[in-house]
Amino acid sequence: MTGSSLHGGPDPMARAAVVSVPARAALYVLLLVGAPFLFSLYLAVSDANVGEPIAHFVGLENFKAALEMDVFWISLRNSVVFLVVAAVLKSLLGTSLAFLLLQDFKGKKLIRGLVVIPFTLPIAISVLSWKWMYDSQFSVINWVLSRMGLIGQFGTEGWPIWLGDPKLALVACILVNVWRTFPFSAIVLLAGFTSVPVEVIDAAKVDGCSFFQRFRHVVVPMIFPILMIGFLFDTVFTLSDLSVVYLLTQGGPANATKILPVLAYQIGIQAGSLGRGAAIALFLVPLLIPALILVLRNLKRREY
Amino acid sequence: MSDGHPVETDPTTVSRRGFLRATGAGVAGGTLAAMLDARQAPAQIRGTTLRILQWSHFIPAYDNWFDTVFVKEWGDKNGVKVRVDHIPHLELPARMAAEFAAGAGHDIMMNGSSILTRLYYKSLADISDIYDAAGKKHGGWIPTAGPLVQVEGRTYGMPMFYILLPMLWRKDLFEANNLKAPDTWELARVAARTLKPKGHPTGIQFSQCADANLNWRSLLFSFGGAESDVSGENILIDSKETREALRFAKALFDEGMTPEVFSWDDASDNRYLASGVACWIHDAISAYRTTEDTNPDVFKNTHIAMEPAGPGGKRVSTSAANVYMIWKFSKNQQAAKEFLTHFVDAGPDGMVQSRGYNMPYLLGQAKKPMPIIGADPKMQILQDFPKIVAFYGYPGPFTTPIQEVVNLFVLPDMFTRVARGQAIEDVVKWGMGEYRRIFAKHKRA
Repeated sequence: MTGSSLHGGPDPMARAAVVSVPARAALYVLLLVGAPFLFSLYLAVSDANVGEPIAHFVGLENFKAALEMDVFWISLRNSVVFLVVAAVLKSLLGTSLAFLLLQDFKGKKLIRGLVVIPFTLPIAISVLSWKWMYDSQFSVINWVLSRMGLIGQFGTEGWPIWLGDPKLALVACILVNVWRTFPFSAIVLLAGFTSVPVEVIDAAKVDGCSFFQRFRHVVVPMIFPILMIGFLFDTVFTLSDLSVVYLLTQGGPANATKILPVLAYQIGIQAGSLGRGAAIALFLVPLLIPALILVLRNLKRREY
Repeated sequence: MSDGHPVETDPTTVSRRGFLRATGAGVAGGTLAAMLDARQAPAQIRGTTLRILQWSHFIPAYDNWFDTVFVKEWGDKNGVKVRVDHIPHLELPARMAAEFAAGAGHDIMMNGSSILTRLYYKSLADISDIYDAAGKKHGGWIPTAGPLVQVEGRTYGMPMFYILLPMLWRKDLFEANNLKAPDTWELARVAARTLKPKGHPTGIQFSQCADANLNWRSLLFSFGGAESDVSGENILIDSKETREALRFAKALFDEGMTPEVFSWDDASDNRYLASGVACWIHDAISAYRTTEDTNPDVFKNTHIAMEPAGPGGKRVSTSAANVYMIWKFSKNQQAAKEFLTHFVDAGPDGMVQSRGYNMPYLLGQAKKPMPIIGADPKMQILQDFPKIVAFYGYPGPFTTPIQEVVNLFVLPDMFTRVARGQAIEDVVKWGMGEYRRIFAKHKRA
């Protein structure tokens, strides 16, 4: 079918298609993204609770209530620390793994399959396994380190209590998040690396570029859009990850690992205050917006 | 409260315990059959379907009995098809919220530990009639049962059973060191102080988990402390007794525990006892059962004590409540009410099948000797607990603000802060601030 009708004017079907495709896309976005977001906004400005069918408008009361909570500020700080540290570790580990998987070696396909296991395992099972590994008494990590003479014996001060020490507990939660999701970063990067033509890399080698120069000036610019999208996904996944912290510590000890999604769940669902839970969850949006702007601006700039 | 290990029984051995259980089951089975014969549900419920949502019991054999024997027999007799779904107890509030939002789901919902009557009562069926009838039939309810399920003079839930957290202590270690049984918190502290240097510390969770919420309340209330007044409106946490309890907990931690307790979850103390390390723990009898199955030598010397008394001799045991409710949107409310009536009548069977875990709220069912625990010399002491049982909010009811206080672990955090070295006055000020803020928000709402 061409774009013109028999009478020489534009084909009505083609014209309809031109209109309807973006309209369908807009409808799709509106229904799947916009509607839940707008519903969250509605909840956040209401006194909705889990057992009350009718909610009343309360303005910014829920946001104000959140800002008055000590634990909100602790959760906000923890969320930012969690996001930044996890992002750095995932970038380093993901890049290293992607380069390793690019190499030719025996059993490459098997290894590629195995590395995504942490990402594909049901989160409840993998986190519970970690809970055992962090156990204060039976931690396999501690027993190995102790046998190697790197830490003290069980019952002494040199025996780390992974989920009991406020700083270690946050580290422990971040490590599990990194362990679960860095294979995703690696797979995204690997997809990017394999899309770079070998000829371009070879040309750079002939020009005398070192490994890091090739990476910085050839590979990264070519896979930049993939990197940005991967970064965006990773930010969203990390910020909204409720399960790791909830299953490991429920936010303890004494809120040392509490992050915004856990706090929102505890107040919104467990304590039943949907409005306040939604307001707390919406504080994640200002954290996400800078990442979103950064990604979109960079992508847009590269279009020209 | 929970344990990571399913409590299984070995069908090939016939121990004293096994014999008691088997005979208890026989008696209970006979009782159940007699009850089924005696009570005939109305014909209208024949041909209907009843859906029940409840937790996965910490005693897996109980779920097996409930699903395949108890429910099936009642369903067959009354011509009702009953479907039972089990989920982890921590997921019950989220599922309840989802079913409420959808206006559809199960007919009967269980609430475990988090009793959400006051959040949902407008959407729950009024079951005052069957609650009152059960009370009349079984000699009344324990005083703390009503506030769990009653709002504005009506009853919206059937208290089915509660779970005790008594003292589980190592008699061999105590005797070898000339220590008195932990009948008071002070004696428990002396024991921990004496036995910690010998490799047998104690432990209570200084962390954010259900047991921490329950255990520290038991200590606080036994010290004469209180959470809210009987109206549930006024906070009573800022008191001399709270300060005393916090001071005691700090000393107990310093003298008798290791920093492990900051990382503990609900099952850690079970493992601590079963591993033979702990000199005593304050936990549900699932810990006792786990030890029985995993470390018979330690189990032999593990005894159960009455809730330790505070400095004034007061004993309060904060227990995990379990309640069943019927949705107002349920199209089969009549069958649901019939089932709950039958279920509450069968409390003694539940005790047998749960190996003494499910404690009844009905005074008639709490008469000595109770099934299983009445026949076991080490467990008999549990029969004295019904008169000292309390729930969150004590002496007030389990209100919505208290629900939030519990979910945010405010009280265990107060104890944790003190154990970590924060000044008691600062902690009380912080805790009071949290309570006030939460109560004020709910009042505004």
